[in-house]
Amino acid sequence: MSLRPAAAFVAVLAAAMACDAGLEPEPICARGLIGVCGTIRFSGTIPDSTDNVFVAAYASFPQTCSDLIFNRQPFIPSSVPYADSVTLYSVAVPPAHYEWVLAVWKKLGQLTLSARDTALLRVAGYYRSPADSTLPGAVTVPSGGVADSVDFKVNFDSLRPATDFVTCP
Amino acid sequence: MSLALLGLLAVQAASGGVVRGEVHDPRGAPIRGAVVGVPGTTLYTFTDAVGRYRLAPLAAGEIRLRAAAIGYSPASTTVTLADSARADFTLDPSPLELTPLDVVSTKVPHFGESPTSVAQVTEQEIARRAVNTVDEAVDKAAGVQILNGQINIRGSTGYVQGLNSRVLLLVDGVPMNQGDRGGINWDLLPVDQIERVDILKGAGSSLYGSAALGGVVNLTTRDVPSGVHGRLRVTGGAYADPPHPEWAFRNTTGLHDGVDLSGSYGTETAAGRLAIGARHSDGYREQDARDHWQLAAKGRWQASPRTRLDVSGAWAVDQYQVPLTWCSRSECDDRGQIYQPFKVDTSERGARTDSRKGYLSAQLRTVASERFAWQARGSWLRTHFADYRRTANEASVANRFGVEVRAEAHPDAARTVLVGGEGTFSDVVSDIFGTHSQSEFAAYGESEQRIGPGRLTAGARLDYLAVDAGSLTAVVSPRVGATVPLGGGTLRASVGRGFRAPTMAERFVHTVAAGFEVIPNPTLRPETGWSLELGHTTPVLGALRLDAALFWTEARDLIEPSLISADTIQLQNVRRARIAGLDATLLAAPIPDHLTAALAYQYLDTRPVLAFRPRHLVTVAADYVPGGRGGAWGVGADFRYASRPERIELEGFIDPRRVSVRVLDVRASWTIRQVEVRLLIANALNYIYNLVPETLAPVRTISVTAVWSY
Repeated sequence: MSLRPAAAFVAVLAAAMACDAGLEPEPICARGLIGVCGTIRFSGTIPDSTDNVFVAAYASFPQTCSDLIFNRQPFIPSSVPYADSVTLYSVAVPPAHYEWVLAVWKKLGQLTLSARDTALLRVAGYYRSPADSTLPGAVTVPSGGVADSVDFKVNFDSLRPATDFVTCP
Repeated sequence: MSLALLGLLAVQAASGGVVRGEVHDPRGAPIRGAVVGVPGTTLYTFTDAVGRYRLAPLAAGEIRLRAAAIGYSPASTTVTLADSARADFTLDPSPLELTPLDVVSTKVPHFGESPTSVAQVTEQEIARRAVNTVDEAVDKAAGVQILNGQINIRGSTGYVQGLNSRVLLLVDGVPMNQGDRGGINWDLLPVDQIERVDILKGAGSSLYGSAALGGVVNLTTRDVPSGVHGRLRVTGGAYADPPHPEWAFRNTTGLHDGVDLSGSYGTETAAGRLAIGARHSDGYREQDARDHWQLAAKGRWQASPRTRLDVSGAWAVDQYQVPLTWCSRSECDDRGQIYQPFKVDTSERGARTDSRKGYLSAQLRTVASERFAWQARGSWLRTHFADYRRTANEASVANRFGVEVRAEAHPDAARTVLVGGEGTFSDVVSDIFGTHSQSEFAAYGESEQRIGPGRLTAGARLDYLAVDAGSLTAVVSPRVGATVPLGGGTLRASVGRGFRAPTMAERFVHTVAAGFEVIPNPTLRPETGWSLELGHTTPVLGALRLDAALFWTEARDLIEPSLISADTIQLQNVRRARIAGLDATLLAAPIPDHLTAALAYQYLDTRPVLAFRPRHLVTVAADYVPGGRGGAWGVGADFRYASRPERIELEGFIDPRRVSVRVLDVRASWTIRQVEVRLLIANALNYIYNLVPETLAPVRTISVTAVWSY
């Protein structure tokens, strides 16, 4: 019996197993993203009534509940993972200057895409100004690019109603 | 004058005759480390660096001698002895020969197959692979994996940072696991002083006691030959840069270098060797520099033809920076990456460890007759480490004192009986382990009986353990085994019980690690396990040899870290587990004397799934020497694959990122008279991987090593 097949088998086995990249770089922001990205650090007890948590951005600081719903980017946001103590997020928004980027907690219930939705929503946390952490921080999404390192904290024990920030009828 | 002559004759008569000779290969090249002995007796010796041996004392008459060496077929001859005789052996190369000499599974050297699996890493393999540390040499053995310094034999240990080993390390038969943590200091000895590594797979507690739950590793240091000898080993090389620009962390290339120098002088009566060495490495990660200095000595004194004293010792100092875990998001300049495997958490900048360790041991062996010999040993192992970190400084000083007396009897040519007693006392003074002591006392016995072509082995060991002079805990470890010729090969089977006493570190550790408070648990019980093995080794088609073993371990009370509250960890006897699998090695010599290859595969099944145990482990090695054995140059390669561990400890609390292991090493060697030059490209594909969480394994490393021997 020739040993060539066995040698070939070993060579193919070794080559096949070698064809793997191993650990790879993993950028915080999704590849090809145009929008904002960063990390959210969670603390507190997740309420039983939690439906999801999403990130939204506003070009100008909202004044009313209607602004909160209709000036939101993205208009229909997706949830971010909130079970771990920290999560990465990437949210696609149009290139623009944004005055408020925040995480929103949503209670179980059906949204109607109207001002009444604010009853189901709470401000969970927002990006703060590096110069003065008591103020919201502004970010700029450049054309074709991302605003990265937009990091903020969410405390499930201190969710705040929209009326703390805007006027609702 | 005549009185003196009469006195000499009387001594000669009392001490018996002597056989001298040489062991060499068919080309006349000497074979060092070959064992020459009288089968079924206490009489054996090893050849020196130039293949010479001297065997005494022997009774006059007809004597059957046998010689064996790894990689060669054994040979026998009969000599008629009056006062002295000469017997030279020519051993034919046999690259497919598996473990012709077994030391570790029986505590006394003997020929033939072992009832349990024994893997060996020979001096030639260590040299060929041009490794710089002992663990790198052991890591290449089939069925063995080293995880960040902790050895796994058939999935025994797993990984717990800084603690414990379920494998016992011996240096020339003397236990060397740390007195406080029970772990292994692989840098205790320079790799250049290691002649052979024997690895017993499976429980070895019936002879070796605690820590031999998963196996035993015995490092045999080079014997000191007669005459004047010197050896200089110089090595240097470089680490590859990170393969992605996002991971770049320095502007210069990381280098490593080292030098070992040893000199010896000896006669047939006495000999001594002194070795010194130093190494420096810039490391392959941020904050990964290391400096190492070592001193080792060994001596032998043939006090009489029947009595030999061996004394050895070593002292090593390591100062290294501590890349505890890699940098995760926001812990350093992350450059927009979720993690930076080449960088460390900024808060750990400046962390370093000072580690010092050393041992002294003395072994006395007296051959009372060809049927009876006894051996006594004493040893002292001292370890000291100090971690300097921003968060906390930690230090520990530990001693381990050991004594052992054993007797070896051969009532007849078909039977060997070994009995012995062993005592160990360990103490520790530490700011994280406290001040404590632990004593272990044991008695053991084992008998081996030849029955026709087969062999039956049975033995047991009784250990008593006491912590801080408290009450004694008794552990019994029996073992039975057998080998039977079958189908052109040899069938082996064994079943035995192993155990591991909790270390003082495991009982009393109180520290903070990775944000968790680790609290003591003085009530820990010994881990125990029954191991069963069924193996067969057989030649296949002339050019192949297959060794396969099924193994099965039922372990109880395994000690593992348990999360007892949101931020508190305690080591507890939490787990009962079954570790089973297949361990197979295929050796091939498609072009005898020129091309050899080995393929080893291990399948592991643990229930429940245990952390850090890859299900599949594959090693492939091949060496080609165009000029045949002893040729001037050669090339070779090793490939290692380990599947991604299905589970890690504390999953959900640490970065769980892990991948499979796919590492290729390539090497080349040239021999020019007394100088060997070796090139090693370890991890030639620069595969980026980690064996334990948040700790990057070595990147591609190029090393050139030159060894001059005199």
